[in-house]
Amino acid sequence: MPPRDIAHDAQLAAALARCAQGDRSALRVIYGLEADRMIGIAMRIVRRRDLAEDAVHEAFLRVWRSARTFDAARGTPRQWLYTIARNCALTLLRDESRFAATDDGGAPEPEQLSADDALTRLPETSRLRQCLDRLDLSKRKAVTLAYVHGLTHGEIAGRLSVPLGTAKSWTRRGLLSLQECMG
Amino acid sequence: MTSERDRILAAEFVSGLLDPAEQIEAERRLVSDPDFAQEVAAWRARFSDFDDSAQEMSAGPALLQRIEDGTLADATAVEPGPSQWRALWNSLPAWRAATAIAAALTAVFALTSLIAVQFAREEIARKPIYVAILVDDATKNAGAVVNAFADGRVELIPLTDINVPEGRALEIWTLWDRAVGPRSVGLIDRARSVTLNLRDLPKTGPDQLFEITLEPASGSPIGRPTGPILYKGTTSRAL
Repeated sequence: MPPRDIAHDAQLAAALARCAQGDRSALRVIYGLEADRMIGIAMRIVRRRDLAEDAVHEAFLRVWRSARTFDAARGTPRQWLYTIARNCALTLLRDESRFAATDDGGAPEPEQLSADDALTRLPETSRLRQCLDRLDLSKRKAVTLAYVHGLTHGEIAGRLSVPLGTAKSWTRRGLLSLQECMG
Repeated sequence: MTSERDRILAAEFVSGLLDPAEQIEAERRLVSDPDFAQEVAAWRARFSDFDDSAQEMSAGPALLQRIEDGTLADATAVEPGPSQWRALWNSLPAWRAATAIAAALTAVFALTSLIAVQFAREEIARKPIYVAILVDDATKNAGAVVNAFADGRVELIPLTDINVPEGRALEIWTLWDRAVGPRSVGLIDRARSVTLNLRDLPKTGPDQLFEITLEPASGSPIGRPTGPILYKGTTSRAL
């Protein structure tokens, strides 16, 4: 990890420790460092600016309430924050679709999504990118659409125009190959 | 070494691909099974480059203000008064007691009504204005009925026994405005009739959604449904 990232993570870990003690200014530090990226992560899932802000709003309240549960042994502070942002965005996305009695004003259809943007944004040196590049195009797309855009098996099937069973098996085989490659 | 099934479960959990029942299993394992937790942590690390390379989008000061207001609202909830209400709201014994009191009050009401011999008027009051049949989406079996009365009272009556795993409870939600989002209106430990708390919400209307989800015993930790939807349905005007 580059020294700049280590310093960044140390700053975040310290701010989380201060949040756990009820220091609101520490939450502002985390917001300043990470809110922009968290909006970007949520945006790829909920696909609407207002919903992305709702997700990040909820994420920061969760960070505030559960800062003391952050465990550096389980991952970096950024992974912890991004996981919370993704989970809040996914919850919101599933809520939106489950409560969508009518089709007005919901998030854009998953059919409009492409996996390419997220793949090209990965740095050339990224092990994830190198291992994804080794997968068949269909498996690469399935895995990326699921993780980055929060698509369900059913939506992946629709997006790739294959039966549900095929979409499930592509994703699973893609995930297992990815694990084998990345170790 | 974890089994292939567990490795896929962890990978699909991290990717957000699990169906609600598997999601509950994974969340439970995450707390109780260190090997599984390690598998999940490894998957989060593998995918982290995706998040690290997400495009930054200016979050702005307005959202920070909203978040800070939210943390202050949290803080006021810790003060004695409101927190006791929250504890009560989340407490199953309190819900039981409330139901028992409601049942007792209903009995008293029924008795006095009888004595008053206002049969006709009582008949009107007892007839719900709106009814919703809550149905299991997959099997299309009806699981419960919601009745909304003219006086603003709303009750839920189960039509079938609902399997509630240890440490879980049934939470009842309503959605009348998508801009506001779903609101919790009740928490029960098992399928039983209950008066729902819609006191602070707008009067129940037509096409209002009610649903029952499976949540942790003290209710959803985030104020929105997190568990699988067991039954849902919308209100229609009763004839």
